[in-house]
Amino acid sequence: MWWIKGATLVDPASGVKAQRDVLVQGENILAVSEHFSEQEVGALANGEKLETVNGEGKYLFPGLIDVHTHLREPGQEDKEDIASGAAAAVHGGFTTILAMANTTPPLDNRALVEFVLSQEQRAGLARVYPFGTVTKGMKGEELVEMLDLAEGGAIGFSDDGRNIQNSERFRLALEYAKLTGLPIVSHSEDVNLAQGGIMHQGEHAARLGLKGIPASAEAVMVARDLLLAAETGGNLHLAHISSKESVALIRAAKARGVKVSAEVNPHHLIFCDEDLTLTSTSLKVNPPLRSAADREALLEGLNDGTIDLIATDHAPHTWEEKARPLAEAPFGITGLETALAAVWQHLVVPGRLSIERLVQAWSTAPAQRFNLLGGSVKPGMPADLVLFDPNWRERIESETLYSKAQNTPFLGQELQGFPIWVWVGGNAVLQERRVVAR
Amino acid sequence: MSGLEGNLKSKIMDGDGMRRALTRIAHEIVEKNKGTEEVVLIGIRRRGVPLAERIREQIEAFEADALPLGILDITLYRDDLSMIAVQPVVHESNVPFSVEGKVVILVDDVLFTGRTARAALDATMDLGRPKKIQLAVLVDRGHRELPIRADYVGKNVPTSSREIISVCVQEIDGADEVLLLEMETDK
Amino acid sequence: MWQHKDLLGLERLTSAEIEHILRTAKPMKEILMRPVKKLPTLRGKAVFNLFYEASTRTRTSFETAAKVLGADTASIAVAQSSVSKGETLLDTARTLEAMRPDLVVVRHQASGAAEFLANHLKAGVINAGDGQHEHPTQALLDLFTMWEKLGDLAGKKVVIVGDVLHSRVARSNVWGLTKLGVEVVLIGPPTLLPDEMRVLGVECRHDLDRALPGADVVMALRLQLERQQAGLFPSLREYSRAYGLTSERLKRTGKPTLVMHPGPMNRGVEISSELANSPRAVIEEQVTNGVAVRMALIYLLTGGTAHVVD
Repeated sequence: MWWIKGATLVDPASGVKAQRDVLVQGENILAVSEHFSEQEVGALANGEKLETVNGEGKYLFPGLIDVHTHLREPGQEDKEDIASGAAAAVHGGFTTILAMANTTPPLDNRALVEFVLSQEQRAGLARVYPFGTVTKGMKGEELVEMLDLAEGGAIGFSDDGRNIQNSERFRLALEYAKLTGLPIVSHSEDVNLAQGGIMHQGEHAARLGLKGIPASAEAVMVARDLLLAAETGGNLHLAHISSKESVALIRAAKARGVKVSAEVNPHHLIFCDEDLTLTSTSLKVNPPLRSAADREALLEGLNDGTIDLIATDHAPHTWEEKARPLAEAPFGITGLETALAAVWQHLVVPGRLSIERLVQAWSTAPAQRFNLLGGSVKPGMPADLVLFDPNWRERIESETLYSKAQNTPFLGQELQGFPIWVWVGGNAVLQERRVVAR
Repeated sequence: MSGLEGNLKSKIMDGDGMRRALTRIAHEIVEKNKGTEEVVLIGIRRRGVPLAERIREQIEAFEADALPLGILDITLYRDDLSMIAVQPVVHESNVPFSVEGKVVILVDDVLFTGRTARAALDATMDLGRPKKIQLAVLVDRGHRELPIRADYVGKNVPTSSREIISVCVQEIDGADEVLLLEMETDK
Repeated sequence: MWQHKDLLGLERLTSAEIEHILRTAKPMKEILMRPVKKLPTLRGKAVFNLFYEASTRTRTSFETAAKVLGADTASIAVAQSSVSKGETLLDTARTLEAMRPDLVVVRHQASGAAEFLANHLKAGVINAGDGQHEHPTQALLDLFTMWEKLGDLAGKKVVIVGDVLHSRVARSNVWGLTKLGVEVVLIGPPTLLPDEMRVLGVECRHDLDRALPGADVVMALRLQLERQQAGLFPSLREYSRAYGLTSERLKRTGKPTLVMHPGPMNRGVEISSELANSPRAVIEEQVTNGVAVRMALIYLLTGGTAHVVD
């Protein structure tokens, strides 16, 4: 049994932001109270071994849930695998992660989805739920066997990494997926507008001589996806929204009553196109870092609920792949191990994002949106918990990262505010910043 | 050699001395070449240039013919380029006549190791094939590192390796004089 | 005076550094005009040309410049090397480094490739064109040509017309010219000169004829004919009518304007044949000056036992 004492519990699902003691027994949360006495705890433990963690001066969050990660297994295990991705997740405060389907081969059949789940069991750290693709081979043509994939454990469907350009096919996917009740996650990008682009189209790209990806490359497809979601009543989630135009479209659609959810990546909230140089491949990401005005609109959207949740889009690549000229390096930023600290330092500490909204957008809302257990700290719920130390400082170094990849713009930088203890299903998988396998 | 830091030990030549030395060199050039018919002067940047100009004035004063005068920048012919961190500034050479079949008198201020003269010889020969090349210097201070000698010498000054010869000319330095300096030891 | 290990672009040079290069190029040109075009200056130095894009003229210009200065040269062209077998630029750089070059001249299709290489090589790097980013030696030879013809460039007006968006030549020229106090006007259709190009800090306009009065220099950029298929302009005929340079059109400058082109020219498209052949066009002199400027740069960058790393 675990007794987490004296931390400030932040649980938007139960409207709590106050000092609480939390008791964990077995896989679940046993009790939450303002204060437990030794006698009370002793009675509840009933002879079971009791371990106490002092949470004073720290925050206790429901385990964070990252709905957008690329774990690269099967097929690209040189970049990441499920075990290293799951370790990176708990090291960064995530108890549940959703794995995208653009592996090699893509997760377009039940056997592959079940393979990912078996690898998750073997790793035994964070909970990993795979997406299935929307179309076979992610070719944007024939639909996958959605019912079969759903039975096999797919959490939703996404061709993330590519966009389904054929609007009719996307419409049919939204219709057919209703059979499963699972969402379709759209990587909204018009490939013709984005073709060959390296970074956000704007003055900074013009200065560097890099081909731009206009904001319209995203917004055009967001508009299409919203119209199709409205028309079909389909279950749509928009991945990695990056532009102010998209935020405005989503806000208007929600006001009309369209059922849709959207996510934003931490790097789009922290950086902008002006941070790119000709050699900063760790900032090369798709959708690209947009203008400072876009960044402001995203934060505003996150704060007013237009954007429902935060997700990392953890996209690991090998060092060699990123050690290239910017134009030739692959898109992607890792996030699992740095995102929480970075958002804390860049947005929460300056008062631009409240702690409650942070937890809501990264735990409560993802759990609700993807029908996952967790996302709140209540008796009887699985004990997925994060003890967060706002004063813990750490330098991001390749040696201390659990991910196989190090394509993070924070490499070599010190960040403040890290998870120090993480429990997944009652198991303390992160103890004093060290990942401990079950 | 001018522009180096050092403590003044003695003045080797003043303006008059310099003028007399250059006059003698001018006469020797005419005498040795039996006139000036095929003679051209080339001054080695920087202080060889005003010295060559003065030699030309002297010669023209007693020989009627106008004497061609060229300017040679030998930076690109130096053999120590890879030993210095920042490349020296290259200036233009201006030799507005053919050296083919001519007697070229190279003029420089000081003859020391002979490396500058060697570079000037190479540079001159890249301009064409002169009949002869002769070397005129205001001061020969010894310490040769190459088998090179001057045909015309204003003054021989035996020096130690710690000494510096500084030739100053009116056009560049504001005064005509030749100084012997002692290198500062604790530098 | 010159403290850089590499020459990657003009954006980061000071006007004093640019002027120093131009002044060094002048004696180099004098040497180039001699009957014996060979110096012992860089004897024993190795200059490698690493060209990922075919460019006979630029590569030959660098080779000539290096050879006049007495350096040894080696050219690595993509088609005949392991580059086409998928070797990364980094591995190529490491292989090159092992051969101990003093200077590597690189042309690459990716913006930033030269900087990338410079960061990974001890040898100096000269950018001979990286993607759409910069082509500093071309701009320097253009500046040198203008400086020779016009003297002090401050206050002069230079019109650059054509596919500015995709032109590393235009970008480098803008940086160089503005640093020397030149008024630059960029001209092209909106598809090839989008609004964001104003970030370069110069006037951007779409009407060539209205920009010509008072121009001391007009520079036509090479039009890649593939841009038509990509939908950036409808036809060569229409492009040429709006943006092609002709003697007739040039009368609008009201001056004996210099006509420049980085080559190779599409005669009859961006420049009429008769204008290209006229004495106003200094296109061949640009080529000669290109060798002189590259000699200056090779000289400045290969100095010293230890390179000064900036």
